Amino acid sequence: MDMATKFQEQFVFHLTGKRHSEELEPIDAVNLRPALLAGFRDLTRLRYDFPVVLVEGGAEGGPVQSLSSVVDNLLKQVAPRGIEGERLRKHVLKLEREIRALVAQGETGPLSGLWSLATAKFASEADETPGKVLAHTGAALEVDGEVLDCTRDMPALLLRHLWQAAQAQKARKFHAEGGALAVKLSDILRAAFVRSDAGRRAESLKASVGGPHQDIFDFTAMSKLLRKAAQDDDLPVARRKRIEWALAVLRSQQFFAPPEAARSSPTTGHHAFCFDDCASAVAAFRKRLTESVELVKAISIAELEADGRYDEAKHDPLFAEFDSSSLGPADMVAFPDYLVCIAAGRTDAPENAMLMEVLSSGLPIKVLVQTEEVLEASSVGDGQIVFGVRGAQLASTALGLDNVFVLQSSSSNLYQFRERIQSGVGYNGPALFSVFSGSAAPASLLPPYLAAAAAMQARAFPAFSCDPAAGSDWASRFSIDDNPHAGEDWPVDHFAYSDEELQRVSEQLAFTIVDFAATDRRHARYFARVPRSHWNANMVTVEQWLSLGEMEREGKVPYVLAVDENDVLQRLVVDARLMQAARRCREMWHRLQELGGIHNSHAERLLAREKIAWEERKQSEFANLKAEATSAAAATTAVPAASAVSPAASAAASAEAAPAERPSEEAYIETIRCSSCNECTQINDRMFAYDANQQAYIADLGAGSYRELVEAAENCQLSIIHPGKPHNPDEPDLEELIKRAEPFA
Amino acid sequence: MTTSSTHCLIRLHQEHHSLEDYQGGVPRWCSGCGDNAILAAVQRLCRDEELRPEKTMFVSGIGCSSRLPHYMKTYGFHGIHGRAFPVAEGVKMARPDLHVFVNTGDGDCCSIGAAHWIHAIRYNMNMTVMLHDNHVYGLTKKQASPTSPIGLKSNTTPRGSELEALNPLSVTLGVQNVSFVAQAVDWVPEVMYDIMSAAFRHRGFSFVRVIQRCPEFLPKMFEPWLHDPQKTLLLTHPDGLQLSAGLTKTYKNQQEHDPSNIDRAREIASLDDPIPVGILYRNPKVPCYEDLRHPAQMRTPEFIRAGFEKELDKVTVWPDEDLQTQRAA
Repeated sequence: MDMATKFQEQFVFHLTGKRHSEELEPIDAVNLRPALLAGFRDLTRLRYDFPVVLVEGGAEGGPVQSLSSVVDNLLKQVAPRGIEGERLRKHVLKLEREIRALVAQGETGPLSGLWSLATAKFASEADETPGKVLAHTGAALEVDGEVLDCTRDMPALLLRHLWQAAQAQKARKFHAEGGALAVKLSDILRAAFVRSDAGRRAESLKASVGGPHQDIFDFTAMSKLLRKAAQDDDLPVARRKRIEWALAVLRSQQFFAPPEAARSSPTTGHHAFCFDDCASAVAAFRKRLTESVELVKAISIAELEADGRYDEAKHDPLFAEFDSSSLGPADMVAFPDYLVCIAAGRTDAPENAMLMEVLSSGLPIKVLVQTEEVLEASSVGDGQIVFGVRGAQLASTALGLDNVFVLQSSSSNLYQFRERIQSGVGYNGPALFSVFSGSAAPASLLPPYLAAAAAMQARAFPAFSCDPAAGSDWASRFSIDDNPHAGEDWPVDHFAYSDEELQRVSEQLAFTIVDFAATDRRHARYFARVPRSHWNANMVTVEQWLSLGEMEREGKVPYVLAVDENDVLQRLVVDARLMQAARRCREMWHRLQELGGIHNSHAERLLAREKIAWEERKQSEFANLKAEATSAAAATTAVPAASAVSPAASAAASAEAAPAERPSEEAYIETIRCSSCNECTQINDRMFAYDANQQAYIADLGAGSYRELVEAAENCQLSIIHPGKPHNPDEPDLEELIKRAEPFA
Repeated sequence: MTTSSTHCLIRLHQEHHSLEDYQGGVPRWCSGCGDNAILAAVQRLCRDEELRPEKTMFVSGIGCSSRLPHYMKTYGFHGIHGRAFPVAEGVKMARPDLHVFVNTGDGDCCSIGAAHWIHAIRYNMNMTVMLHDNHVYGLTKKQASPTSPIGLKSNTTPRGSELEALNPLSVTLGVQNVSFVAQAVDWVPEVMYDIMSAAFRHRGFSFVRVIQRCPEFLPKMFEPWLHDPQKTLLLTHPDGLQLSAGLTKTYKNQQEHDPSNIDRAREIASLDDPIPVGILYRNPKVPCYEDLRHPAQMRTPEFIRAGFEKELDKVTVWPDEDLQTQRAA
C-alpha cells in the first residue's frame, strides 16, 4: 500500500469514524494514555496534594491540610536540621508513602489510626528500631482527622467538613450573644422579683441565704422589716409577658444544639440541615420559617429590653405585624446554612430547575453538584458527541444570577481551592460548588485524581470562581487564574522521549480535550491507532489542526500522541465529531477568558480605538506646533505694539478673576475657627451666639453697640472677630473705636 | 446580635439627640480657657455619633480639665488625683458596652498619675483619652507641671523651672501596645473635632493630647502660634486627616504623614515649633485587654454564686465541723 492510500484511509476515518483497513487499529483493548501523562503511573510515589486530612478542632494550618504538609510540619518539629535528622526524615517520608499507598488501596480512618497501621508494618520487618521511632514520632502529631484520597466521595466529605466548621462558628456566636441576652432578661425578672412583696417573704429570704446559716437567722422578722419598705412589682404585666416570651423562645429554639451538645457534635442542632436534593432543603426551610420569624423577633425584643430601649408605643405595632415577609436574606445570616450535596448523575432537568430557583431566591443554601461526565453521547443522533451539557453547565448558568457565590473545579484542585471554598461556605447568601470528580472506574483509564486533573488541564472542566463579596465589579469577583496557562487556548508542556535510534527528542505538546477524551474507554470509537510505518506529513496535532482555517484543514488529519503500557509512543487519529466537540470546548474557554479579562474583545476594541485617537491627536498637536514655530519665526521681524499693553491688561483680567473678598464694612466672625471660649458671649450674648456646633456667630448686630463689637474683637484670642464699620453714626467716641477696630479689618 | 432589616426597622424609632441633650451645666472655667473648646468638640462628637447619654461615661482625675464630666449630661466619675485611668479601666472591664472617655490634665496624667498612664497605654483598653495640656497647674493657682517649658516662673519655681518639659506624645509612643496617638490644639477646633472623631472610632486606647491655652496664668504662652498659622503643622493623609478647603486656605503648612509609620511618628512627636497637629500613629491590630480577658464562661447567676461560695468558703468559720467535711466532700 502506497503512502497516498494509507493517508486516504486515515482521512476517511477522520470524516466518518469507520475503519476500512486493518492497518488502522481500534484502541478499546489497548491501555493507552496521553503522552504527557506517561510519567504519572504510580501516584503513591509522588508527594502531592492528596490524600488530605480533615483536621478536627481549630488547628493551626486550617481545617484541611495535605498529608505532605502535615508530615513537613512534623519533621520541622522532631527532626533536627542537617545530617542529624536525616535518618528520621527518611523513615517518616517512607511512612508517608506507606500511608498514601494504604489510602489508595481503600483504607480509611483518622490519621492517627493510619499512622499506627503503617508503623506496625515497619515494626514487623527485621529491624524493629524504625517502627519504634515512628511510633514515637507519631505521638508528636499535632493534628488528627479523617484522611481522604481524591475519590468520588471526597468532594462531599470535604465540603461538609468545611461547612461544619462554619456552622460551629455560627453556633458559638449564637450561644455567646443569645446566652448573654438570656442572662440579661433573667436579671430583669430576678431583680423585679427581689424587689417585690413575694421576694421579701420569709421563705424567699431563707432560700437566698446559704444553708448552714438558715437556722440562726430570724427570716420572719427580716421579712417584716423589708416588707414595710417593699415596693410593688415595678415590672408592668405587658413587659413581664414580653420578656418571658422572648426568654422562652431563646431557650427553646431548635436551630442550634445546646453548647454542651454542640461541643461533642458542633453542627447537629435539633433540626437537620444536610440534604440530598434541593426540594427537601426548601421544604425544610418553609416548615421552619415560622420558628425563624419567632427567633428573630425574640432576639430583637430581647436586645431592646436588655438595653432599656423598648418603647411600647413605637415597637408594639412593629412587632405585631412582624411576619415572614419582614425577614430579608440578611436576617437569615445568623441561622445555620442549608447544605445540599447532589450526587453525580442526579442532575436531571427538574432538579436543575429547582437548583436555579433556590440559588436565585437568596436563601442561605450551599449546594454541591458533582459531575462525572463532560463529553456525552448526544440524544439527537447516533454517534454524535456533546460537550458541556447538563451538570457541567450549571456553574456557567449560575454566573448569570445575582449575588450567588459560584465555584467550579475538578476534585483534584479542591485542596488548592480550600480557602475559596471556605469563603463560599461562609458567604452570606447562596453558593454553588460544581465539581468534576472523574469518570467512574471501568470507563476511565486513569485514577480519579489524574482523571480530574486531566479534565481541568484540557479545559474540559476549567476552574473558575465568582465571589460577590470580593467586590462590586466583575474584575474583583471573577477569576480563572487557577487554570494552567490561563492566557493560552491549551496548556503546553515539555515532552521528551527517545526515538528509534535512541536519540533524545524534545517537543512542546499541548494538552487538549481530545487528549482527555483518550483517557476514557467510552470514547475509544473516536480514535484509531496508526502504525509508525503509516505516519506521514499530512498528520497534524490536534492543536495545529484547530488553529488552521477551513481551507487549510483540507487534506489534514488531526492526531494525538499517546503511550502504551510499555511507554511506546503512538499516534491516534481523531474522528471529526470529537474535533467538533474540541472546537466547542475552545470557544467556551474563550468566553471564560473574556469574563476573566483575558483577550477581552470589548477591551481590545476600545484599546485599538483609543490608540488611533491618540495617534491622531498627537499628529494634530505636532502640526499645530509646527505652524506656531513658523509664525513665530515670521514675527521676529515686526515689533508687537500690543506687548506694552498686555501686562496691564492681564493684571486687570486677573483682578477680575480674583474672588470677591468679604466687604470689610460688615462685621463678621470666622465661625469655623471659633474655639467656643465664651469671651464674646460674655460681653453680649444677644449679639454673639453659638451655632449647632457650639461655635460663635453674630446673631444680631443691632443687639449691641459698636463698642461691644470692638471689645469682643480685642478680647478674642484667635482674632477671628472683624467689627467692620459702625452702623450707628451717632454712637459716641466713634473715631476712637474705628481706630481700635483697624487691626481686625 | 445583628438582624439586618429588623434592625433597620427598629432604628427608625431610635431617639436622636441634640447638642443640648449632652450639655450638663454652665462651665465654671475662665472665659478664654481652652477647656471650653474641648467640651464643645466632645459634645458635638456625642451628638454626631448618636451616643446614648446613659451609655456614655466620662471619667476624670483632679484639675481644671477634670471638671469636664460635670458639664456633660451623661454618666461621669470625677475621681481622685491621678487615678482617672484605673477608674476608667474598671468601668470598661465591668461594662464593655459603655463608651468610656477620660479627661485628664498635664499634672493629673503626667505627674501623679504617670504610672497609671503608662500601664493604661499598655493595656490598650477601648477608651478615648483627652489630655488637656495647658502646661500649668491652674486649679491651684499656677504651679509648674511636668509639661511646663524650661524657665517658666511659677509659684513653685519663682526663679524659673529648671527641667526640660516632658513630651507626652513621645512617652506614649514609646510604650508597648500603643495603638493611637494624636495631637490637637484648641485654636483649630475643626481639626480637633476630626481628631476626636477618629480617636473615638479607633478601637483601643486612643490618646489625644490637646494643647490648650490658660488665659489666666499663661496668657501669652501660645500667642505666636495663635497669630501665625505657619507655626501649626497639619498632618494629612488619606488614612488620617483630610482638611476642608477653608482650613487649607488658612493653614498652608501641611505635611503628609502615614499614621502607620511609628518611626516617623516619633520624629514628628519631638517637634515643638511648628506644633504638629493630626494623627501621629494608629495601629488597629493591637489587641484590647478587655478582649484578651473576656471570660469564656457565661457569667450566669449560678456561675457567679458558685464563685462567691468558693471564695467565702475559704474564710468561713463553720458552726459544725461535720458540715464542713460534708460540704467539702
